[in-house]
Amino acid sequence: MRQHLLIARTVLIEAVRRREIYVVVLLSVALVAGVMSIHFFALEGLTKFYREVTLQVMSMAAAITTVVLASRQLPREFDNRTIHPLLAKPVGRSTFLVGKLLGVMAAAAFCFALLLAVYVAGSYWLGTGIPWALFAQYFYLQMIMMLILATLGFALSLRFNLDAAITLGIVFYFTSAIIMSASVMIYKETGNVGRVLMVAMNYLLPQLTLFDLSEKTIHADAWGPLPLSVMAQLTVYGAAYAALYLGVAYLMFRRRPL
Amino acid sequence: MGGEQIVEVEDLVVEYGRGRNVVRAVDGVSFSVARGECVGFIGANGAGKSSTIKTMMGFLFPAAGSVTVFGEKAGTTDSRRRMGYLPEVALYYPFMKARELLELYGGLAGLSRAALRQRIPTLLAELGLEGRGESLLKNFSKGMQQRLGIAQAIIADPELLVFDELSSGLDPLGRFDLRQVLLEIKQRGRTIFFSSHELSEVESLCDRVVIVDRGRVVKQAPMAEMMGPLTEFEVLFRMADGAAPPPEVAALQPDRDGESLRVVTRDAAVFAGALEALAAAGARIISTSNRSRSLEEYFINLVRPAGNASATESPAQR
Repeated sequence: MRQHLLIARTVLIEAVRRREIYVVVLLSVALVAGVMSIHFFALEGLTKFYREVTLQVMSMAAAITTVVLASRQLPREFDNRTIHPLLAKPVGRSTFLVGKLLGVMAAAAFCFALLLAVYVAGSYWLGTGIPWALFAQYFYLQMIMMLILATLGFALSLRFNLDAAITLGIVFYFTSAIIMSASVMIYKETGNVGRVLMVAMNYLLPQLTLFDLSEKTIHADAWGPLPLSVMAQLTVYGAAYAALYLGVAYLMFRRRPL
Repeated sequence: MGGEQIVEVEDLVVEYGRGRNVVRAVDGVSFSVARGECVGFIGANGAGKSSTIKTMMGFLFPAAGSVTVFGEKAGTTDSRRRMGYLPEVALYYPFMKARELLELYGGLAGLSRAALRQRIPTLLAELGLEGRGESLLKNFSKGMQQRLGIAQAIIADPELLVFDELSSGLDPLGRFDLRQVLLEIKQRGRTIFFSSHELSEVESLCDRVVIVDRGRVVKQAPMAEMMGPLTEFEVLFRMADGAAPPPEVAALQPDRDGESLRVVTRDAAVFAGALEALAAAGARIISTSNRSRSLEEYFINLVRPAGNASATESPAQR
């Protein structure tokens, strides 16, 4: 486990020392500050509007950071050949991959923590409450979504080039809901082959909207936290996709000439 | 070549590309490295040195043949546990500090935090990087990065050191420091295998040399054996009144050098006989010399295509 953590630490150091995360956070702060300057809503309306914008910004900022960070981990190692001295140590390729994943998740959590601080500060400044229980569930499910995006980023970056992997990952994040609703419509209209394809796509691609608890968090006065059984099912669902993508990434990486 | 063989390469074939685009970089290479040996692996660019070394490390996979290290198939974590490796080209993480980088590699090699706290300052000082532990690597020169690369390779005091392009990027001072470090490592009985284009370095450090050319081993021998036959004896003389050289000298086919004649031989007894005959014939000896030609000359004459062979060859070789 120490080897995993050492590799993860490298990813985290890079994320903290490079400035991309801070740029994303600063842009988010600017956006949230813009929302807070709008006073023409009643307080209740402002609270919901503030939450809606902030949670969406947090999710997008963390997702983009995660996709970019995950997608570039392996190509950069290959291009700069930093992977050679690293894998010359008694480190297995699976350990390397899992260590990288842990690092990306730690960086995603770091990014989310910065955004969370902005959200909490804004909430106190506006005098609106924070639905902590729902918010904790929102954060947890977002992290599962980041896990899926990170493993998908690994798999894509091993199959395509860096730019293509980042683009595909971000497009998937933004169009996941559309792809799923479109596949349902196509399934109803298409023939047998098309249906098989739609079913296959349904199993290959996770439904990211399941991990988006922002609507419930916005309307926290009307919704309580999700039952633990639902959280557990969502965890298993997310973990299954993360394992699938990580497994695919490992199969491509296992015998890759370096 | 006696003793335990810790690296064994047998009929190794390494290929790049697929289908019609396959390029064979290594074509049936075989050699072994015994415990405690220092072996130089030399060849021109594209001869297959890096591909062979990468296969030893498990970065490339053999298309045919086998590589074992410490009795394990090359590339397994067990085989790498006792190895240190310096890549041909590596950019180390520019966002990390030198200390952090060595903590990473040392930790991955299994050193404890306490051991690393002791080892890192010593190692940095040994390689001329004293006081640079807290510097970011993006501020390191190429030579400093190479020194750091050597530090990461030897941090866990491995039994086998594999260097791909040993002193690439180092200035003369850096090369001197590195040679001292390697000599010290060699004296402690560690095994060293390295490729280098600096053949004087190979000459001064190695017990044995493996020469590759176009993917094949063309020569492997102990350094002493390889350099021994290269010793040449030369005499420059002038015969009195244009007389013919004595038969012992004429048999050596003298070359004319202006008014003088020159003979070259690798046989010390023949050389002594020629000198005696010249003295007896009243020849004027202008100069005598003996020299051991460099590994570089040997290498160039070995791997240079036949049509271009003359440039570095001496009369004795022709």
